[in-house]
Amino acid sequence: MKKKHHKPHRSQLHANYVRRIRIQEFWVVFTRIALLVLFIAGWEYSADAGWIDPFLFSSPSRITELFIQMAGSGNLFHDILVTTVETILGFALGTLGGISLATLIWASPFLSRVLDPYLVVLNSMPKVALGPLFIVAIGAGYGSVLAMGVAITIIITTLVIHTSFQSVDRNYLRLARSFGASRGQLFRKIIFPASIPDMIAALKVNVGLSWVGVIVGEFLVSKDGLGHLIIYGFQVFNLNLVLMSLLIVAVCATVMYKIVYWLEKRLLKYRMAE
Amino acid sequence: MSGHAAIEVRQASKTYLSKQDQVDALTAVSFRVMPREFVTLVGTSGCGKSTVLSMIAGLIFPTEGEVRLFHEPVRGPSRRIGYMLQQDCLLDWRTVEQNIALGLEIQGQKSDEMMKHARYLLNELGLGHTLYQYPSQLSGGMRQRVALVRTLAVQPDVLLLDEPFSALDYQNKLHLEMLVTRVLKQQGMPALLVTHDLEEALAVSDRILVMGGQPGTIRRTMEIPNDLRKANPLDARAHPLFRPLFQELWGEIDQ
Ligand SMILES: Nc1ncnc2c1ncn2[C@@H]1O[C@H](COP(=O)(O)OP(=O)(O)OP(=O)(O)O)[C@@H](O)[C@H]1O
Ligand SMILES: [Mg+2]
Repeated sequence: MKKKHHKPHRSQLHANYVRRIRIQEFWVVFTRIALLVLFIAGWEYSADAGWIDPFLFSSPSRITELFIQMAGSGNLFHDILVTTVETILGFALGTLGGISLATLIWASPFLSRVLDPYLVVLNSMPKVALGPLFIVAIGAGYGSVLAMGVAITIIITTLVIHTSFQSVDRNYLRLARSFGASRGQLFRKIIFPASIPDMIAALKVNVGLSWVGVIVGEFLVSKDGLGHLIIYGFQVFNLNLVLMSLLIVAVCATVMYKIVYWLEKRLLKYRMAE
Repeated sequence: MSGHAAIEVRQASKTYLSKQDQVDALTAVSFRVMPREFVTLVGTSGCGKSTVLSMIAGLIFPTEGEVRLFHEPVRGPSRRIGYMLQQDCLLDWRTVEQNIALGLEIQGQKSDEMMKHARYLLNELGLGHTLYQYPSQLSGGMRQRVALVRTLAVQPDVLLLDEPFSALDYQNKLHLEMLVTRVLKQQGMPALLVTHDLEEALAVSDRILVMGGQPGTIRRTMEIPNDLRKANPLDARAHPLFRPLFQELWGEIDQ
């Protein structure tokens, strides 16, 4: 009988707890949305009332109008597609390339020591400054834009992942070696999987970085893409176009970030457990 | 007689070298572990106990002298050795089942049969229900038991234990001592244990080697009387011979 009494009591407690959390969550989301609505409404109103110059700062209605107009012609989606594909490719190549380079360097401790100062120097260099070099070498096209996306991510990824490889708990390695593991086995069974959280962290950083690389790349060379729209809007002083492109970049980058986040959740199941 | 030894260390010395300096960790260490025998190394911190185990496990090599395992000189890690470290070292991205399979995978002997045996051992240690859980979901005592199963799963012929219970609370420690001694007796497996805990040393061993000095060496060997050997770790602690031996051992160490 005591037990029967006990159980509903506990679940009541739990239900209350869950309810409190739900209410908190609701207010967080509500405030978030309210802020956005307030910002957009305030922006629109200030432009209409003449507090800010709509020619310089545009307004939500003007941006929407332009979006509908450009979307109708279909050109906009071409630009979005070009930039997104460049970014995803740059991101993937930069990250995978960085991980592969880190693996290669790990495989040879000698090489690792030889290359160390070069990597540090390369990393501290502003990669976008390499733009002109790429244009000369590859030509003013998609190739150069992609190269920028890769250049900006690959070195830092290499450094971070290589450090991660080296900082794997030495006891894990002792354990594997006591079972007679070869160097390759150490890498496959211990070092690589142990570094996956750091790889995911690198992915997250690289999402942002590759957008920087590609947009700057498009500033420099491209005849299409969102970066081109931004620089073109700036040149003809169409700030509606600039702001609209910026918003689209923000949305696309967020979607990419979300995908990486989802990947993290799937890959790091074990961390979420309990 | 020496021909039968499971482990034989002969006049082994070890000097660690680094750029800055050298550390003489061991000098002229000699001892044997016979089949079915449970030998324990005790001694102050830094006297080289872990170094001795690492040498036997083939992870490092003596600067001088020799280590033999079932008559064969040790030239690297051997499949005949199960080495349990102080930290449980469970891989947190693997489930318990995948963790206990690690040694089998590395040694290329993972088969249905071997895995069945591993799961059987897990069951024996009362952890059958944790098969698909992750280490982060287990308590310290449970993790250490999983580590023990992982060590035993490769079916070694000798067990090396480097302070495997020192991170556990008293109850868990006793429980694991009972389990380990039972498993070892069942399988007739020789073992070499390192511990800081003199009570533990007395309760589980057949023989205790007291190490000391800088560089470390074996100062004394203490044979445990038969009555005490036969008792399990819990009963041994209550045995009338236990306290006097503890005092004696304490005196050896604390000088
Ligand atoms: N890899 C290493 N490089 C240099 N010196 C080392 C290394 N490993 C151990 N030593 C030194 O060798 C000596 C013995 O170390 P060891 O770890 O074997 O001692 P221990 O008896 O196991 O100590 P504890 O009880 O604290 O675990 C110590 O002085 C230690 O500093
Ligand atoms: Mg030690």
